[in-house]
Amino acid sequence: MDAIRIPPPAELDGLEDEHFRQVVRAFLHENYPEELRNPPKRLHWAENKVWYMTLAEKGWLCPGWPKEHGGLGLSPAKQIILTEEYERHGVARTNDHGIVMLGPLVIKYGTEEQKRRFLPKILTGEHIWCQGYSEPNAGSDLAALRTEAVLDGDHYVVNGQKIWTTLAMDANWIFLLVRTDKNAKKQEGISFLLVDMKTPGITVRPIINLEMHDEFCETFFDNVRVPKENLVGQLNKGWDMAKALLGFERIFLGSPRQSGYALSRLKILAERMGVWEEASFQDQYARLRLEFEDLKALYGTFVDRLKRGQSLGPDVSMLKIIQTELFQKITDTMLEIAGENAGLLEPLDGNRDLNIGGLYIQARPATIYGGSNEIQRNILSKNVLELPG
Amino acid sequence: MSAAEADDRAESIRMIRDSAAAVVPPDGDLKRVRALRFQAPGFDPAMLRQMGEMGWIGLRVPEAMGGAGLGLGEMCALAEELGRGLAPEPLIGAALSAQLLATAGGKGSLPKLLAGETLLLTAWQERADTLEAPGTPEAPRRFLPMAGGAAGFLLPVRVGSRLSLYELPAAALRVATEPTQDGGHFGTVTPPRDLGRPVAEDIGTALADALDEAALVTAAYLLGGMERAFAMTLDYLRTRQQFGRIIGTFQALQHRAADLKMQVALTRASIEAAAAALDAGASGDARRAVVSRAKARAAEASLLVTRQSIQLHGGIGYTDDYDVGLYLRKAMVMANQFGSASLHRRRFMTVSPEVEE
Repeated sequence: MDAIRIPPPAELDGLEDEHFRQVVRAFLHENYPEELRNPPKRLHWAENKVWYMTLAEKGWLCPGWPKEHGGLGLSPAKQIILTEEYERHGVARTNDHGIVMLGPLVIKYGTEEQKRRFLPKILTGEHIWCQGYSEPNAGSDLAALRTEAVLDGDHYVVNGQKIWTTLAMDANWIFLLVRTDKNAKKQEGISFLLVDMKTPGITVRPIINLEMHDEFCETFFDNVRVPKENLVGQLNKGWDMAKALLGFERIFLGSPRQSGYALSRLKILAERMGVWEEASFQDQYARLRLEFEDLKALYGTFVDRLKRGQSLGPDVSMLKIIQTELFQKITDTMLEIAGENAGLLEPLDGNRDLNIGGLYIQARPATIYGGSNEIQRNILSKNVLELPG
Repeated sequence: MSAAEADDRAESIRMIRDSAAAVVPPDGDLKRVRALRFQAPGFDPAMLRQMGEMGWIGLRVPEAMGGAGLGLGEMCALAEELGRGLAPEPLIGAALSAQLLATAGGKGSLPKLLAGETLLLTAWQERADTLEAPGTPEAPRRFLPMAGGAAGFLLPVRVGSRLSLYELPAAALRVATEPTQDGGHFGTVTPPRDLGRPVAEDIGTALADALDEAALVTAAYLLGGMERAFAMTLDYLRTRQQFGRIIGTFQALQHRAADLKMQVALTRASIEAAAAALDAGASGDARRAVVSRAKARAAEASLLVTRQSIQLHGGIGYTDDYDVGLYLRKAMVMANQFGSASLHRRRFMTVSPEVEE
């Protein structure tokens, strides 16, 4: 590869799109640790810290933040290119809740004092954030959350339980949606609170998921005292703020990438199993390929909208449903053609491309997280098709 | 394409859609379509002339040959609007003939065909579900929509290792017709022994390309039809009451509607991507791959959406008086024209490159 000069961070947003893409490729080629490419599981802080800190040192950590706060100030279109290249290179996700969720929220709704206090520590990796939204009885119906914060002098006292707190064991700060008014309509009594994980009364317990991985945790709050200046935005407006932050990033839930990866592994497996040439398999595969290609075309129409500066509508839910259900269909097909090998705990032949059972299990939560596909269909029917009730 | 070019293109496509209002009533009234069903010739020759006058038959024919020289983006938009209104005129067949005569240098009856004065149909197909035209002399040519209304036919016939094109008046061949579900008919055309002199030679590539375009345009017609049937179904779900509730409030029906919406969206994305690829000059396997994708998707989705439209309407959807059934019957006829979904899936696998990672 010809050496491509990597310009200083402040210049990246001004590059022409294709040039920018080449710069991202060169940047990854130069800086991304080879051993962290395409990890089979979500990495813990101890594993991905080296990459987080590299991004931090180079000034590349926060692509979507405005430059004045230490971000790259990239447009949605450029952020999509960046993500595409990260995905292509097999870059692992970092502990990115501070970068993706908390930072933008503080920038939009926080006080100047909160911006000064929290943003720089995300940029240096000193604060690693996790997200406390879901609860055992508030999953799809998130607004039913019951973890409560009661004002006592200069502190809120938090009691309750959060669940599916991704990588909470790695985090030293958590942002919470808490109930601050039990008498209001459920969406109108919720506030947004920042909590130091070292505060007495917090217990984190990992949950082992079907991948036999401890990605998620339960987080318990027992009389946890939180200084009242850690409230972001107005009291009881937490729901609206969290919702307003669901921006164009929703498009990534529908990125065809995951299905493309699985589809190429399906072919490798079909050849390994000797069914690739069979007419019945060819038809099965053709259906999946066509679904994938048409998903890419549909995804492209949404990317074009962002490039023209438009925002995404509720119809973006279509991408999430189509992508995740296609991903599952591909892994279902892998299982079907693998014979007894489907039941193996480790990849077939020790080949990571033949991780039949692993991929099948990895595909399961895709239709659950980010708003289950049932919720996405509710959104489509009410907000796109305008069906009543 | 620059932003300005893209805007011009969008404007050109919008104008084509607007002009379709001359044929397709904006209120969705299908009286004209109903009156033509199961009557010879199955369409309105005066309307076909009007289509010619509006430049639709020669939409894809270069301006130097008397056509409009527009792209597949425009042609697909037009077909979509016609599909929305179930226009029975054989525009796709007429346009196919016009393109063949144009690539042959504008010979034969091209001007009259473009004007909509003379309907010429291309009798190429020798068996069901194919895109191959072997050009067997004297072999009956099958499944030719609205053949009973044609004044003449173009016949691709193999001479040596190449296809030549002959133009013959209808009176010179035997034309038998069979009614189709949509109220039209298929013709079987038996060529005579003596074909006279060809109007063009070595048309194999031109014919294959024109058949691909016809497959894509057929997909667009199906898209228009399925969108209209789906819109009627949504209206029904928003108003029909049972158990004291509007049935569109039932989640089982809402989710089914969401599934149909996704099929319609995928079909549109697939067709528009294919039209854009062809307009940008895609050739060979890349061209065949995108056409096959679009046609496979449109064939399956149009049948799914129209039969689910019947189901979601319940009993009323099963009556001939209610329009939604007309869309089902049209999809039954057109889904397999210029290749069924399974044909196009097979073809896609032979021409498409590997998944890009």
